[in-house]
Amino acid sequence: MNLGCNSFRQHHRRDFLRIGGASLCGVSLLEMLRARSQAAGAAAPKAKQMIVCWMAGGPPHTDMFDMKPDSPSDYRGEFKPIASKLPGLDVCELLPKLAELADKYTIIRSITTMNNPGDHARAPMYWLTGNPRLPSGTAEYPMYGSAAAKFKPGPAELPTFAVLGKIDHHINNSIAGSFLGPAFNPFIFDPNEKKDDIAKMLSPQMELPAFTKQADLLKALDSRLRRQDGVDPLIAGLDAYQQTAFDMLRSPKLREAVDLSKEDEKTIARYKDKHLDKYRYPSGDPLHFLMARRLIEAGVPIVHFSLGYWDWHGENFVAVRQQFPMFDSGLSALLTDLEERGLLDTTIVLALGEMGRKPKCGTEKNAGRDHWDYAQFVLAAGGGFKRGCIVGATDKLGEQVTDNFYKVESFGRTLYHLLGIDPDTQVQTLSSRPIKLIAEDAPLVKEALA
Amino acid sequence: MRRLLSLYAVALLCAGGPRAWAEAPDSPLFSRHVVAVFSKLGCNAGTCHGAVQGKGGLRLSLFGAQPLADHAALVREHGGRRIDLLEVDRSLLLLKATAKVPHGGGKRTSAGSLEYDILRNWIAATAPADDIEKSRLTKLEVTPREQEAKSGASYPLKVQATFADGTSEDVTPLATFSSLDAGVASVDAAGQVAAQGVGDAAIIVRFRAEPVMSQVIVAREGSPSVAAPEPQNFIDEHILAKLRRLNIPPSELADDATFLRRARLDVTGQLPTPDEVRKFLADADPQKRTKKIDQLLSEPGYAALWTLKFCDLLNASDFGVYADGLAEHFEAPRFQAWIRARLAENTPYDELAARILTATSRDGRSLEDWAKEVVALQEGYTSPRTDLEIYARRQTLDAYWQRKEAVGVHGALQIAHSFLGLRLECAQCHRHPHDVWQQDDLLSFANFFMGVRTVGFQGENEKRYPEEHALFKQYEGEGKKLTEEAKQLKEGKGKELAEKAKTARDEANRLKNEIRRDEEKPETQAAAAEKRTQLASLEQTIAEHDAVQKEIREKEQRGRMLSDDVPKRILHAQILHRLRDDKSKRQASVTSPLGTQSSDKFRLLGESQPLEMAEGEDPRRKVIEWLRRPDNPLFARAIVNRVWAHYFGRGIVDPPDDLSPYNPATHPEMLDELCQRFIDNRYDLLWLHRTILTSRTYQQTSIASAESEMDRANYAFFYPRRLPAEVLLDALDQATLTREDLDMQYYHWPKGMRTVEVPYLPRNNFIVFMLEQFGRPPRNSSAQCDCARQVDSSLLQVLSFANHPRVREKIADPGGRVAQLIKENQDAPERIRELYLATLGRVPDDAELAACQQYVGEAASPEEGLRGVLWSLLNTKEFVLQH
Repeated sequence: MNLGCNSFRQHHRRDFLRIGGASLCGVSLLEMLRARSQAAGAAAPKAKQMIVCWMAGGPPHTDMFDMKPDSPSDYRGEFKPIASKLPGLDVCELLPKLAELADKYTIIRSITTMNNPGDHARAPMYWLTGNPRLPSGTAEYPMYGSAAAKFKPGPAELPTFAVLGKIDHHINNSIAGSFLGPAFNPFIFDPNEKKDDIAKMLSPQMELPAFTKQADLLKALDSRLRRQDGVDPLIAGLDAYQQTAFDMLRSPKLREAVDLSKEDEKTIARYKDKHLDKYRYPSGDPLHFLMARRLIEAGVPIVHFSLGYWDWHGENFVAVRQQFPMFDSGLSALLTDLEERGLLDTTIVLALGEMGRKPKCGTEKNAGRDHWDYAQFVLAAGGGFKRGCIVGATDKLGEQVTDNFYKVESFGRTLYHLLGIDPDTQVQTLSSRPIKLIAEDAPLVKEALA
Repeated sequence: MRRLLSLYAVALLCAGGPRAWAEAPDSPLFSRHVVAVFSKLGCNAGTCHGAVQGKGGLRLSLFGAQPLADHAALVREHGGRRIDLLEVDRSLLLLKATAKVPHGGGKRTSAGSLEYDILRNWIAATAPADDIEKSRLTKLEVTPREQEAKSGASYPLKVQATFADGTSEDVTPLATFSSLDAGVASVDAAGQVAAQGVGDAAIIVRFRAEPVMSQVIVAREGSPSVAAPEPQNFIDEHILAKLRRLNIPPSELADDATFLRRARLDVTGQLPTPDEVRKFLADADPQKRTKKIDQLLSEPGYAALWTLKFCDLLNASDFGVYADGLAEHFEAPRFQAWIRARLAENTPYDELAARILTATSRDGRSLEDWAKEVVALQEGYTSPRTDLEIYARRQTLDAYWQRKEAVGVHGALQIAHSFLGLRLECAQCHRHPHDVWQQDDLLSFANFFMGVRTVGFQGENEKRYPEEHALFKQYEGEGKKLTEEAKQLKEGKGKELAEKAKTARDEANRLKNEIRRDEEKPETQAAAAEKRTQLASLEQTIAEHDAVQKEIREKEQRGRMLSDDVPKRILHAQILHRLRDDKSKRQASVTSPLGTQSSDKFRLLGESQPLEMAEGEDPRRKVIEWLRRPDNPLFARAIVNRVWAHYFGRGIVDPPDDLSPYNPATHPEMLDELCQRFIDNRYDLLWLHRTILTSRTYQQTSIASAESEMDRANYAFFYPRRLPAEVLLDALDQATLTREDLDMQYYHWPKGMRTVEVPYLPRNNFIVFMLEQFGRPPRNSSAQCDCARQVDSSLLQVLSFANHPRVREKIADPGGRVAQLIKENQDAPERIRELYLATLGRVPDDAELAACQQYVGEAASPEEGLRGVLWSLLNTKEFVLQH
């Protein structure tokens, strides 16, 4: 009997604070119990964790996983396809390692924004939230990781949603916040950057015993408002957050996860194989693949990183030659390592950008590929995605989707479905409008599901 | 015995008259009953079939607003399978509702229920449409409208609907019920209210899309506690009366140190200094609190803090569209300076609103005079920024209308929010589901602002504004001329002198060395003197060169300004009211997935009659007249309620920007009286602040008692809340005796600016990170809501205060608090007392002092020890919270 709007304003503000504050990551005990009982009833979700390798700008689909060797020379570009381990899937000759692993992932060729919207400011917001979020004037829909932080939080001493470096090359971190509230924003840091204050913030700034001693003093001094503890949700919430924060600092888990000195050199070399000192376009950091793996092993539920900039209007093929081998090494090392550790079945691994590139590129020496948002690719592995599968198809030039078209909403719903979060979960925008996590109804990408 | 009696009373209530409709009517009306069933079962909600695209192939109008369309959808679409007139029970409508066939919305009702029977009987009667007008709702009543109940007691609500055809029905079974505070009273689907905890709550009752409200008051059981305290002003009388009614004892007054910290933070956004605390504690004057309040309100911090609040509310940094010459770094600080000047001179609030809402760029002056101002403003964008003073002297705030989305329907939404405390976004597309507003209310209100010119490049501006265009040409010409002169100078004299100066510099350096050598020996003194003469002549050449370079730079800069920013602003950013030259084009209209709606009327919110607008009249003046009418239901209320919310963390109506009749005030009489007196005091904001601050309600302790701890809305104690982002960062600076470099010299920000004074995000990464974590609002149109400033807490907030490297650096700063104490204070306990005064604004008690002393004693050095103490104090709740 719960009507769409009837839950409006059932709590007053201080109750909201209680809900926002009483427990570790902003989920009240009640919500957690509810989530658990739901989980007990429904089939267990396939994915416990997710890694998003975001290829901002738009990687050239017809040079990668949707090659068209028979198209005219002003379309097909400089590279030849090679057969992959998956019969029927030919990939670029510069992706030999991923070709070997093609029996582990799904390539989706039929999800696109259809140029609506189709630019570097708005399309990433659509892809990364599954909703028509724009830079302003629309509701601030959450990223998948923020929803996970609210509805499926991970271990208390770890962030649920970690972003390495930044969310996107173009819009940076402007979609970090959402109407779910700041408690569910991602932790954005880059342990590979020496000067990153946020990364430093995640481990104590002093020796642990000294820190513990300080924390003990704080506890002794922080008693003035204690009479309110059991009473005031705000104060109880702050206490709980402080406890979690200090547990996090004392726990070696996160600190060790981001410490790459724990890896042997061979492993690092595998991830950094073909990594150049200089690139034509920003390349991103291949060690983010490794860092992501370590965070997943530690138990962080959602890890996102932006791998360079794939907006190659000029010198597309120069960039391909530089950037594909690096990408090939990083992603294949990640998939192999996850598989070896038995984590791939429960971890979604995505590699995608906000659009494809224009199949027609001309034949000039320094040809580039312009924007193209009527076709692109999504690489999805693990966590309930099929092993070795192609979904959808494009026409013979790679310009238009001809088969199994899905909207971005379908993609978002599929991710939530696999993560065990109901995409129809009702949430409220800042103007108190009840909407669903994915506002629009859309079918799951069922062909991609194992 | 008492309990038994009360149970008996409840039983009597329950038995009060037969409930309507033990059974469904034999021939239910579609628009009256069937649509009501859809509303009751949630079928036509926005997340189900009421969605724009419908759901599962069926689309119903949102909240049943269009019964005819709904009827057609059910009877005609889907090959008529939704309704089976021959085999009624096989109708898809019934099978879906009872989930006998798979239904995305699950099971909504079961066979044999009243709702089911209404649907069934309607189909059995051949699913007719009916005359909608006859079933239009004219009155909806709920009884009892107000009820006192004891915790644990329960009573039914009755809902009576009167229709346009004069008939009246008990529609209780078709109504939905929800409680605004389920902790005080819950209500079930049948309308049975159950009193739970102490307090008062509104029950919102809805029939079809219409809401109506019933109040329940639950008093604390047990004997009244000790004698009530004396009220200090009329606020306290209202607050204490309500607490008496609820049988909740109010808390004691807070002690002097707590009061001082609280008032200083709330009024000026600053911590008290240790000296100020000491002095205040030692002061024996019984009037010292009132005197302190007056002092605080007269300090610059008051205007600074409320400038921040108003600039949040007015989205004061949303500038710059294509080629209008406007930019955040020019405009946002000017906007801020104007507001701050008005607050510093305590402009009456109605005048403030009028000077914002009726703003024009010319301010009644000639075009030429205004253009001179534009030039002066742009010239003043330098260090220090003299333009700020010029702008602050303007009569009206044209920058308000120069922001993005300031005009039209979106502008009307902002004005309704900022000045009337209403959130009307919902009414853009459909009837507001939680308020009284219809789409036409919003659009007719928006028409008052449709005539304001929208800034930005328009090709037609050249024709439309010929005088401005002439000026555009003139300034552009002057600018280009200067640029040309600069170029000439650079290539001519500049180049020539540059070569000379270069040789002169080398020569001068050589001479200087020689002179130094020559001066050492007596025999070369004469040579030195001669070389000094030569040197002087070389230096003159260099100076001449520098002067020319300066002249070139200035000409270039001024040339750029005159040929670019100035003419663009004159032609594309002048705020004026345009006449309604093309009537159809100037109508407020909204296109949403639900269709296009427009209005050509000028109708004020809540008024039934449209206004006639004379030719050439600026309709915004009519809005101001209406705002200033003493019976305006919203204008004074919105600001009074917001000021209250600033001091208490919640509005008398809460949230403070939801002044809806369906969101009742906790203390309606008090709100009325505050508004009335505020108006009687000529909208004097300082009066309002002073009145609230001097109440005992504001000065209560934040410590609740066992009898009052359940209170959340009746001010039995002072509710703690987190300090706002900017205030907290300034407090951190103050406590550590450091000052963040905002890194904005390039934009001519003055050195030493406090965080509350920041007009937009600076370049200092630490400040930006902290402001974002602690919920600074974005000040753009993405969210027009008081909630855009986030007030809740998060893990990252706590973590950043405890462990951000910059926080640690500030604690250990060589010129900071600890370093200063080590230098100036030799007494160990005295140092700790100072740290307490500097952070928490109070002296430590014996146990606290002992704990700190022990910690310092065990530390590697006194510095280390004191840093640990300071870190601990900064991370206490007492520091982070207002309490």
